Amino acid sequence: MNYRDSRPIYEQVKEGFRQLILTGALAVDEKMPSVRELAASLAINPNTIQRAYRELEAEGYICSVPGRGSFVMERSSPAAARKAELLEKLWEIGRELRVLGTSEDEMLQTLRGGESHD
Amino acid sequence: MIEVKGLFKSFDDFPVLDGLDLHVKKGAVYGLVGPNGAGKSTLIRHLAGIYRQDRGEVLIDGRPVYDDPTVKTRVAYIPDEIFFFNQATVQDMMKFYRDLYLSFSEERFARLAPAFDLDPKRLMRKLSKGQQKQAAFWLLMSICPDVVLLDEPVDGLDPVMRRQIWSLLLQDVAERGTTVLVSSHNLRELEDVCDHVGILHKGKLLLERSLSELQDNIVKIQLAYPEERELPEGLELLHRSDSGRVLQLILRGSAEELNKRLAATNPLFLDVVPLSLEEIFIYELGGVDHEVKDILF
Repeated sequence: MNYRDSRPIYEQVKEGFRQLILTGALAVDEKMPSVRELAASLAINPNTIQRAYRELEAEGYICSVPGRGSFVMERSSPAAARKAELLEKLWEIGRELRVLGTSEDEMLQTLRGGESHD
Repeated sequence: MIEVKGLFKSFDDFPVLDGLDLHVKKGAVYGLVGPNGAGKSTLIRHLAGIYRQDRGEVLIDGRPVYDDPTVKTRVAYIPDEIFFFNQATVQDMMKFYRDLYLSFSEERFARLAPAFDLDPKRLMRKLSKGQQKQAAFWLLMSICPDVVLLDEPVDGLDPVMRRQIWSLLLQDVAERGTTVLVSSHNLRELEDVCDHVGILHKGKLLLERSLSELQDNIVKIQLAYPEERELPEGLELLHRSDSGRVLQLILRGSAEELNKRLAATNPLFLDVVPLSLEEIFIYELGGVDHEVKDILF
């Protein structure tokens, strides 16, 4: 957790787990830490953690098994969701660049990893 | 769980609580915030059954707190100034509370000992202010209460101990559904531990929401237009400040929707930032004569 981050805590928790799942640090079928464990170790409200878990579940990153806890799901669908999200960010960056007078060729060049600052 | 209806209380004709309503659900961690002198401590003393209200109802699980001793056995309270007997050691206070509360668990008291690093043989009055507070939490958690009332609880505690205490309390919340009501000025900290917030102002509850509702419904937006132009109609504007071409707006509404609406007006840039509890507190109260006054010397 980053105390200087202005995003709501549940979003930080969610984002943190998403990173762990997408990078494979939390493997498929691995058990997520229990709400109680997390509340204790991060000293944050259990309902906040539950909300983060609920949203992760809704987005297909984890699934919860009543009485047993939450588990990491297979990553096919979340990757697609994440892709859409990143593309949207890219679109926003593109919009700003266009305002700054950047040509599409220039942007494409950067995306391909070519020289951009000439 | 905790329900307060139309609570009035005045001291020497000075009304401190002025028709206050409050609702706290079981298992909630409820943060009570408000400017100095808003009546936070007075309200908490009513919930603890120390003050008798002039008018209104103060109920825990539907029972009146002041008149019903069975309610009090389930409530534990840490006041802003810790009480202890003058010649008492931590151990003596433990025996006192053990005899007072049926739910007191000596086993839990022993199990919690490593968390606190206090010598139970020491006199309470010889401990530092922060250590007295630690002792109070140690005793409170050994009571295994259903309702925990905390008045400025972390005052005088070091950061490590604060975290330690919240970690223990929140485990109880997750496991046993303990209800916690906490007053504090440390909004940064409340933001981590609370799920509900009530803002008290001049003896009334100005607003009472879940934290997620608060955070989802008020946003800070920075944007700039190439030339001056009117903002779209129907925005619920709480605050606006202009610095050059850059506008900073505090708006009511969901971030997503406002982002879409304002993006449609083709600003040069648009940045939507969620608000911290501290900012929400300032802007919500800003409308009610509590704005930070710009006094320039």
